[in-house]
Amino acid sequence: MANVVTTSAGSASRASDTDCVLQVEDLQVEFHTQIGVVRALNGVSFSIPRGKVLGVVGESGCGKSITGLSIMQLVPHPGRVLNGRVLFREKSSDAPVDLLTYGRNSPEMHHIRGKNISMIFQEPMTSLNPCYTIGNQVSEAILLHQTPHREEAKAHAIDILRRVGMPNPERIYGNFPHQLSGGMRQRAMIAMALSCTPVLLMADEPTTALDVTTEAQILDLMRELQQEIGMSIMFVTHNLGVVAQMCDEVAVMYLGKVVESASVDEIFYDPKHPYTKSLLRSIPRLGTGRKERLEVIQGTIPDPYSTVPGCPFHPRCPSVIPGTCDRIAPSETFVPGAPSHSVRCHLYTSAAGA
Amino acid sequence: MVNYIIRRLLYMVVTMFFISIIGFGLIQLPPGSALSVKIQQLRAQGGDMSQDQVNALEARYGLNDPLQVQYFHWVTGAIHGDFGQSFVFDVPVNQLIWGRLGFSLLLSSCAIIFAWLISIPAGVYSATHRYNAPDYFITILQFVGVAIPDFLLALLLLVFASQVLHSDVGGLFSTQYQNAPFSEAKFLDLLSHLWIPVVVIAAGSTAWLTRVMRANLLDVLNQQYVQTARSKGLGEGLVIWKHAVRNALHPLIMALGTTLPALISGEVIVSIVLNLPTTGPLYFSALIDKDMYLAITFLMFLSLMLIIGNLLADLLLAWVDPRVRLE
Amino acid sequence: MATAQGVTIADSRAIAKKKEDVGQISQWTLMRRRFMENKLSVTGGVILIAMYLMAAIAPFMSPYPYDALDSNNQFATPTSIHWVGLQPTVCGVTQTLNKDTFTWIYTTDCTKTSPIKFFTHGYSYTLLGVIPSDVHLFGVDPPAKFYLFGADGQGRDMLARVLEGSRISLSVGLIGVALAIILGSLLGTASGYLGGAADNLIQRFIELIMSMPTIPLWAAFAAALPQDMSVVKRYFFITLILSLVQWTGLARQVRGKVMAYRALDYTLAARLAGASDMRIILTHMLPNAVSHIIVVAALAVPATILGETALSFLGLGMLPPAVSWGVLLRDAQQVQVMEQHTWLLIPALAVIIAVTCYQFLGDGLRDAADPYS
Repeated sequence: MANVVTTSAGSASRASDTDCVLQVEDLQVEFHTQIGVVRALNGVSFSIPRGKVLGVVGESGCGKSITGLSIMQLVPHPGRVLNGRVLFREKSSDAPVDLLTYGRNSPEMHHIRGKNISMIFQEPMTSLNPCYTIGNQVSEAILLHQTPHREEAKAHAIDILRRVGMPNPERIYGNFPHQLSGGMRQRAMIAMALSCTPVLLMADEPTTALDVTTEAQILDLMRELQQEIGMSIMFVTHNLGVVAQMCDEVAVMYLGKVVESASVDEIFYDPKHPYTKSLLRSIPRLGTGRKERLEVIQGTIPDPYSTVPGCPFHPRCPSVIPGTCDRIAPSETFVPGAPSHSVRCHLYTSAAGA
Repeated sequence: MVNYIIRRLLYMVVTMFFISIIGFGLIQLPPGSALSVKIQQLRAQGGDMSQDQVNALEARYGLNDPLQVQYFHWVTGAIHGDFGQSFVFDVPVNQLIWGRLGFSLLLSSCAIIFAWLISIPAGVYSATHRYNAPDYFITILQFVGVAIPDFLLALLLLVFASQVLHSDVGGLFSTQYQNAPFSEAKFLDLLSHLWIPVVVIAAGSTAWLTRVMRANLLDVLNQQYVQTARSKGLGEGLVIWKHAVRNALHPLIMALGTTLPALISGEVIVSIVLNLPTTGPLYFSALIDKDMYLAITFLMFLSLMLIIGNLLADLLLAWVDPRVRLE
Repeated sequence: MATAQGVTIADSRAIAKKKEDVGQISQWTLMRRRFMENKLSVTGGVILIAMYLMAAIAPFMSPYPYDALDSNNQFATPTSIHWVGLQPTVCGVTQTLNKDTFTWIYTTDCTKTSPIKFFTHGYSYTLLGVIPSDVHLFGVDPPAKFYLFGADGQGRDMLARVLEGSRISLSVGLIGVALAIILGSLLGTASGYLGGAADNLIQRFIELIMSMPTIPLWAAFAAALPQDMSVVKRYFFITLILSLVQWTGLARQVRGKVMAYRALDYTLAARLAGASDMRIILTHMLPNAVSHIIVVAALAVPATILGETALSFLGLGMLPPAVSWGVLLRDAQQVQVMEQHTWLLIPALAVIIAVTCYQFLGDGLRDAADPYS
């Protein structure tokens, strides 16, 4: 079953031929708690091509949210970034800049947040400050990054509220968050995030808390705006259906590492990593017989305070190779014939043997 | 909003009515009356009263009437602003209370303002600079501030002021200003005397409010909208003061409502210890001498201060937090 | 959904051992664990237990009775301990009258030292009211005197008085709050569970009481007590008065909790299963509210202690010859007295320590009471 493929030489910086707005290299983040150390990110690497949507998929606890927060340098205490580079290119003509070299509260980071990179969060209920009007909160970013004139900012805010599909944006401007429904609040969040036309939008499970109908509307909206403005999106989710609908590229994460990364078609039609395959198999399908059991991935996610030697997935892997998978961490291998498809699995490294 | 206020005011009237009944009953509980106390005092000094005199006084003050009748007389008078007669001082209660109530109000208000001015910055600092020396220091101050009885603090500050600052600190005015007409110098003198009672009364509340503010702010800082504000690129100062503190104020105002009784009580007891011309000492002696109308009037007005304070706190809450709907 | 317990590595469990059984142990054990982690609360609790123990065996702890007058030692300063090698001793003290200021001057003469003995024999008393004894923790042979905390204006040993006072001050807190808990729980539960008119009535009554400022209200009650009441009776009434205001806060809390639980599904399930109201309250609601009640109570005790101290200080609470910390502080009221005989303020220190420990304890209990958060 193991497709033994040789690693293609010189595939290290495959991303250098495509124009990437963001390139994350070997990001490591850990949390020092009273009970122990949690390795949230264990060497995460991926890139986001300009103008495309990258989906970051994984189970709870794999580190997808922390990835987004680390890029924005918003990791909450007691988290620390140990290692890694986050290369950001505002325009194609710019040289890449390592965001992690800026201080957490430096003016450079303040400039980047909201203006070049913005973020929308999972819970629209709690993401907006209940004491200030929608208009106040949307204008805030505009006043900070674009214009200091209140009237101009207000006009701009109403305009962006209209673009995200709010009925009667003038009235919404003066409303408080608790007067809006969940879907409208998420639209307001999107308006806030897009108000300064960022180059990159980080969306951390933006539709998870919404009902399916609203979710569909929001996703359509995001796609539409993305194409209109031409921005890139990093879309974090655990919902493979959303990935299929929204994303151009996909990165699959497990236990703080990216285990497979490819275009959306390749992930769905030609998954390589056993974890990816298990994820796809566990989606219930129409037409399955009634008495058939749902497919699950055996075992559970290990305790976050522990470290798993070798490949992080090996305790649950249906194709585990004893002796190799539990000792050596697999390196990133590129699938031949698909230069943007990489996987971390001993089934595909030369160390796997015949 | 106006409906709400009207309704609360009506409610207040009803409450005051019930308080008057309770208070009246309370004051009447001790056996005897002001008259019997007076007679005792007279006898202790070697004099005495003839039975006729006693009867005349009793009739004049209606002391022999059944309780309901006495109450009825008093209440009808009170509605017109006549709160009865003080037995001990032999003047209408009216003459005695207003000046003192005014000072009580002044002290309590200053104490509230002081408590707020200190506790908000201290709480914010404590929440944002955890685990370092000033935070521990503030925490210890908080615990001690709540634990120390206010009358004791008053005494300690008196000693401190007299020994270290060598100032004449009893009362609210130095002797030369006691009866002088109001002037700027008198005002400054008042301020220099005011700080001890205000600090003492506010100490416990300040300590407690700081803790509440700190806990609230810590809660709020964990909220998602704070993260959102940061992600927009706002400076940390703006994030904390505009977004976080505003939300932490809500429970703090609710806490304010809780500290009001302690403030008013504290004012009463501290003024007894420091012998200030406010409600406390006179209320206290009225209780002991069974000067019943004086005592009940004071009790009513103190309760009124508390009720109005609570109403103001509720209104403030509605103003600060748009989510509060006043029904 | 059968999950095969996967092939997990043995040593990955090592760090996680402590948290393993979180889902399996009882609520009380969880609470106890969390409480123990809070060193400050545990310290507070330990100190309090020590104080209560000392109060219980008060006569054992001090060499002299609390009411023994001694005109030769009025306002005696705390006796300093003089070390002779490893043996603590006290120096002899002579009392002379300063004819200019008419104050007593105490001169120490360290040539005549007297050793401090432990577990000595002194005046007789009954331990815990049952066991007759005359053994004291420490003491000196007469005619030397050892006043650890000095003496008051009538020569009475302050250590003995503070310990004796702790009996009343500390117990008033507990008993008063116990009464408040009973009253508050009953009325709060009734109010929350029955709802409607009963709830309305009780709530209005509570609001009425809460509209009156505490100390003036207590003062009015206390002033009603006749001066010549026996100590025991007075103690009982003062405790009653103090709890009469505390129960309102507790009742509100209990009512809130009961109303919240009433709306929960498991109450509905119990009712559908045919459980009577009483049973629902006793077996389902109260155990859940108990932890909350304990926390509120732990924070109400210091308020009661402070209340009794304040009332006694004003002369409205306990009266001499009864001794409580408030009564003792009444003697220290004058500024001159405080300046010259600072040791008379030691009861204040005792109050502060007791209240602060209760604060720590209450905080720790409150943090521990939510084990599932």
